[in-house]
Amino acid sequence: MHHLRLLHQPHLRVQCSPSPPQPLLLELEPNSMVATGRTRACGGNPAMADGGDFVQRLVRDTTLDIFEHLDDPSDLARVCAVSPTWRQFVIENGLCKKLCFRLFPEVSSVTHVVKVKIEPIKVSSCTNLEWEQHKRNHKVYAFLARGLTSAIGKNCIAEAISASSTHRYTAERVLNTLEPGDRVGDRASYWSSKGESDPKVSESLVYKLNAKLCIVTEIHIQPSQADFHDGYPIYSAKAVRFRMGHLKTRKMDKGTVDDSGDGDESVENKYVWTYTSPEFPMAQCSTCSSSGSATFPCI
Amino acid sequence: MSSSSSSSLPPCPKKMITLKSSDGETFQIEETAALQSKTLENMIDENCASTPIPLRSINGKILAKVVEFCNKHAEVGVDAESLHAWDAEFVNVEYTTLFDYILAANFLEIPTLLDLASGVVGDMIKGKTPDEIRKMFNINDAFSPEEEEEVRRANQWAFE
Repeated sequence: MHHLRLLHQPHLRVQCSPSPPQPLLLELEPNSMVATGRTRACGGNPAMADGGDFVQRLVRDTTLDIFEHLDDPSDLARVCAVSPTWRQFVIENGLCKKLCFRLFPEVSSVTHVVKVKIEPIKVSSCTNLEWEQHKRNHKVYAFLARGLTSAIGKNCIAEAISASSTHRYTAERVLNTLEPGDRVGDRASYWSSKGESDPKVSESLVYKLNAKLCIVTEIHIQPSQADFHDGYPIYSAKAVRFRMGHLKTRKMDKGTVDDSGDGDESVENKYVWTYTSPEFPMAQCSTCSSSGSATFPCI
Repeated sequence: MSSSSSSSLPPCPKKMITLKSSDGETFQIEETAALQSKTLENMIDENCASTPIPLRSINGKILAKVVEFCNKHAEVGVDAESLHAWDAEFVNVEYTTLFDYILAANFLEIPTLLDLASGVVGDMIKGKTPDEIRKMFNINDAFSPEEEEEVRRANQWAFE
């Protein structure tokens, strides 16, 4: 018999929504007032500047240095609204993508999905393809960086969907694993399987994530201790593994919650699993929670 | 003013080089301190540093500060914490001066100074509205009203 408890954990989520296409901007003026090194000193530029718009006046690398000190996606978004020159600089140099990768290195493993699925590029005959690509990337990574940043520390489990078996429905159902505390009222809150005589039979719990794109940084599982049995035994799985995936068809997105505890024979058929973790042994301890520290994005 | 020709004599021959600013001021700097500038390092390597080096893009006021920065960073036995505090004080200046530091650091290729000054400019932008940023840097090129509206809509979330 397995008793599992899922604790709330910091998780991340992202929502990407399309926004209307934006017009092509004018060409940037050349901004090469600064002579760069390795020239003889006497060949330098005589005019000393008195400040002003550094994006127009400094060489690209130095401006990049300045902007790379920004580490909040909303600062970059405001920078884009400063002037056409600033906006063009941010977009052409892919600063949102760089920031997104710096803040969330895991995102680099889903770039192929970002390219192909999230925002396919629209080509019209009169626009500059390269600029359109830059704009597309900018939009996608601005949303990603923003979404991921705003969701830091949030739980990304939306609801419990099903359990492969439930010993006593309601009292020991999968929903109980999402309770933040150990107890609800005067009763312990946990899920329990029906139990198998063969210890090799595995049980599974299915949860729905609250966004189509999540970065899962931690999963907490707490074995529960039966305070109603002699000797307060801990009923726990020997090991766990985690799978991430999505429904095979979008139609099933609604109304799939099956918390009846009758088991769910068709879990394997309903979902496409895109990630399967190694097996982690469970510490047999009710106060410490086992957590996977691997970080992986899930689309 | 020329550099010492008796550098081979003991004790402690400090090799000095001379820098000349755009407004004709000259500054002596130890070669070891000057090596933080890749531009000066190249000149030293190529034996072009025996006469005063004219730096026509850097005025005396800024060059004095740059020399001060290089000297401080060449000091031995300064612990990281007090150097950090010194740096913070060094860049506690107006934007126009910071900008001049960046130009000078860029020209002389002094990565520590460049990074320090550009970091402060980056910090100036943090949390500011586009209007505040435009005023701060005296930015004149503007969006058309239609562009303005569109950019604002695309980035609305950052203004909430």
